[in-house]
Amino acid sequence: MKNLRRLNRKKGEPLFNAERAKDTGVTRLPKRDESDLSGYRKKALYSFVVIIAFFAIIVARLWFLQVEQGEYYNQLADSNRVRSIDIAAPRGNIYDSKGREIVTNRPSFNVVWIRESNKINDEWLKRLTRLLKQDSATLLEKIRKMAGTPGHIPVRLAEDIDWETVARIENNRMYLPEIKIEVVPLRIYHYGNLASHLIGYMGEINKTELDKADKAIYRGGDLIGKMGLERLREEDLRGEKGSNNMEVNALGFEQQNLKDIEPKPGRDLYLTIDVDLQKIAEEEMAAKNWAGAVVAMEANTGRLLAVASAPQLHLDEFVGGISQKAWQAMLDNPLHPLINKVVQGQYPPGSTYKPVTAFAGLAEGVVTPDTPVFCPGSMRFGNRTYRCWKRGGHGTVTLKRALAESCDVYFYTVGLKLGVDRLARYARMFGLGERTGVEMEHEKSGIVPSSEWKKKRYNVKWHEGETLSIAIGQGYDLTTPLQVAQMTAVIANGGTLYKPAVVEKVIDADGGEVNVFQPEVISRIPGQGRNLKLVREGMVEAVNSRRGTGREAQIDEQHGIIVGGKTGTAQVVRLAQYMHLKEEDIPYEYRDHAWFTCFAPAANPEIVVTVLVEHGLHGGTASAPIAAKILNRYFEKKFAGQAEAKTTPASRPAGRVILHQEMIENTDPPPLDDPEEGGREMDATPQLNELPH
Amino acid sequence: MFHFDRRLLQHFDWVMLLMVLLVGAMALINLYSSTHIPDRGASSIFYKQLLFFGTGLVIVLVVLTQEYQKIAKMGYVLYGIILVLLVYTLLFVNPIAGSQRWIDLGFFNLQPSEPTKLALILVLASCYANLDVPNGYRLRDLIKPGILILCPFVLIAKQPDLGTALICAIIFVSLTLYVRLRWSTLAILSTTALGCTFVGWKFLLKEYQRKRIETFLNPEADIMNHGYQIMQSKIAVGSGNIFGKGFLEGTQGHLQFLPERHTDFAFAVWAEEWGFAGSVFFLSCYFFMIVWGINVALSAKDKCGSILAFGCTMLIFWQAVINLCMIMGFLPVVGVPLPIFSYGGSSLLTNMAAIGLIMSVRMRSFPPSPASS
Repeated sequence: MKNLRRLNRKKGEPLFNAERAKDTGVTRLPKRDESDLSGYRKKALYSFVVIIAFFAIIVARLWFLQVEQGEYYNQLADSNRVRSIDIAAPRGNIYDSKGREIVTNRPSFNVVWIRESNKINDEWLKRLTRLLKQDSATLLEKIRKMAGTPGHIPVRLAEDIDWETVARIENNRMYLPEIKIEVVPLRIYHYGNLASHLIGYMGEINKTELDKADKAIYRGGDLIGKMGLERLREEDLRGEKGSNNMEVNALGFEQQNLKDIEPKPGRDLYLTIDVDLQKIAEEEMAAKNWAGAVVAMEANTGRLLAVASAPQLHLDEFVGGISQKAWQAMLDNPLHPLINKVVQGQYPPGSTYKPVTAFAGLAEGVVTPDTPVFCPGSMRFGNRTYRCWKRGGHGTVTLKRALAESCDVYFYTVGLKLGVDRLARYARMFGLGERTGVEMEHEKSGIVPSSEWKKKRYNVKWHEGETLSIAIGQGYDLTTPLQVAQMTAVIANGGTLYKPAVVEKVIDADGGEVNVFQPEVISRIPGQGRNLKLVREGMVEAVNSRRGTGREAQIDEQHGIIVGGKTGTAQVVRLAQYMHLKEEDIPYEYRDHAWFTCFAPAANPEIVVTVLVEHGLHGGTASAPIAAKILNRYFEKKFAGQAEAKTTPASRPAGRVILHQEMIENTDPPPLDDPEEGGREMDATPQLNELPH
Repeated sequence: MFHFDRRLLQHFDWVMLLMVLLVGAMALINLYSSTHIPDRGASSIFYKQLLFFGTGLVIVLVVLTQEYQKIAKMGYVLYGIILVLLVYTLLFVNPIAGSQRWIDLGFFNLQPSEPTKLALILVLASCYANLDVPNGYRLRDLIKPGILILCPFVLIAKQPDLGTALICAIIFVSLTLYVRLRWSTLAILSTTALGCTFVGWKFLLKEYQRKRIETFLNPEADIMNHGYQIMQSKIAVGSGNIFGKGFLEGTQGHLQFLPERHTDFAFAVWAEEWGFAGSVFFLSCYFFMIVWGINVALSAKDKCGSILAFGCTMLIFWQAVINLCMIMGFLPVVGVPLPIFSYGGSSLLTNMAAIGLIMSVRMRSFPPSPASS
């Protein structure tokens, strides 16, 4: 009992246990233990100090981390767990003037790798290559391309995979922890390659574009408009990206969805283009495998109803980046599909230029409508003979017949009287030699030669003989098909030069009109209504008189629509060896370009159509029928629309009919052998050989 | 035959038991949080550890019933078995994650390097208790203990498991300093140690080990790789703030940013969810447990008991300090668990046995009763 009590006390003050044992003397411990145990006591105290020191340091450190810097680590923890991934905005749709969908979006499925571990695991790579049926080198290359980008941006490994592949990847979800399927809106072209040059295509943003772009808007891997309106109207179409904010774990798996920011869809574009007309234009060109351009434009506004460059671009080849092979094939194609011939093709206007010469002559008073010129089939100037396309000559012609039958000698004469510089001044009034400013890329300005121009360009004096070539649209003259259409519109509408437009309106995602087309006048030719009307009459003759060169463009007997137009042939090259060959034996690339430009209805023109067929030989036979088809469709639709609107036939402008009769009356039909305009009108211009074509 | 002294019960070390139960409870709470599966509750890991903890308490009881002097003598047997296991691991075990640490026993993956720590304490205690040199140990007196530490140290370092090897070395140093050394011995030893450190750094450390230490010195420079763990651990601890994010609410742990969140970095999860307040409470329990252990070493009735209690306390202390310093970014990432708190059967059972030894020394610190002899 006594012992027990003592032991209880000991329990209370254990530190002195050893000493107590010594003091009491009760202990039977061996002596050596006692001495060492007292030594241990000192060591134990040291260790006690060490222990306290370490714990103090640890608590201090805890205080520092959790309290002092707690806020900082809170932020780090948040940025750890919160990831935001861009949600692509649905791109704006593109509609035609009647609201028909040309380009819209569809969901596409991409396979992306979320680089959480940033380590490529052989196992999933192998599995993925099998599922995607791609080789690992392709995938690795894509990963390598993204090497420099921030880690939380997904790497796109495969784009636009089909449903079956999506299902297969989803089935393998467990084995592909960092692989996700991303849904991205992709362009869908409802009319295939229709208007491909105008609309353009989209592609993954490249390094140069990314460097120039606003970093807040674009990231690597984004799609961006690469050509056409997709590129030019990128800002309207792209919308605003949203973001998917989520809590992720260290492996990048989404744990919890946080508040998302919805993407804002892009603005819709309504084009001035009418799909029906555009389709005719492209189908007609494609049917004969022709290269060239077709432009249909409203004469009084500048709205482009059709702008076709043939052959079409195959947009599907551009999706996901065009292959080197396909690109080379396009470069090597003699029909040059990459060139938007509407604005990038420059051709001598040929006889389509004659209305300009005629107008200049009338306006300057060097000729009157009745000034007769005798055409013996050629004209002697200097020591050279300049031939008319019609070897036998036209006999005595006045303005109207000269335009109708495209008499070269008449225009040589007018041109000589005007001189090159006066002619050039008038040409510019029609928009020639100047970019139209239409929303298409890499537009060419064409060339309106003058003595000053030649001096500057070649540092050579102007030869008057060259004026003869210029007067008939050969020589240095170069125009784009759009310029010819614009020129025709100026003639048709009585002197107003409109800027051609392709976008009717831009509509916001919530339906608000951002931008509505307003006709834009570039310049006017004042006080020349009468002279322009005379030129129009000549062009009406060209289509409607028995020996007119553009008879193929006649349309629509029942509605009495009269077309006025002008054919043209642009010499590509003049080589003696081909001169006596039959046309079809001349190699394709040396055949002449065929022009036809026209307006209708003759009395009160609404629409202008210009057709250029590269190496099409004759404007009258190759180009005019296409123009006629477009006009037919245009008026069919128009009258169908009017009928639907229950408009009485009486509401048709009476003027047209009157003018029609007037035209017929004024048509004097001189007997002629060849109703078709020949292709040799540029025989008279030997210097053409050196010209660019 | 088994003889039972009633005083054993009277001197039962309730304090240590209470501390162990407290720490154990926190460990299980924390393990539940770090491994639970949302909507499905506790993971199998949790139940496994619960089982280990129960087993650990049984081990404590078994250790208590035995005279620690006997256990210390048996230490040589344990030591021998463990050396064989360590050699076996090196020769026949396929590496997991680059090191050969585990022996698959079917129901349990034994990590022989864990009980090595305890075996080392036992044999060293037995060795030092029986080695009595006036005026302290000379260098040659340390040859035997030196060999005793060197064998397992080399084998463990070879696995490679730098953390455990380091703990073994530190325990050896602590115990050797605890017993009486001559000043000359101390001087020679410390000089040699410095030299060895230099040579070891230059020639013996593996590339990844050196990298870890280098990374530790500048963790932000290499966040995605070696600095990642330290950085994420610091973020977890730091974002706990004063009162923590709450039970099951820690993001760093649950979203798996924190590596090894139920083993080596378990305390980071605790600190994140319970904040500074919870951490200090936890550390207080720990501190009290360790101080109590030192107290037991002081109150021991003989050398063997004192050395044993001190060694076991140091085992817990150094593991804890190294683990906590690592979690808070003071030390490079070395694989040292937080005793009793980190998940891991081998470690838990080893540490429970150590606790049992401390309690045993405590219970037998009273003078033997005349009746018993």
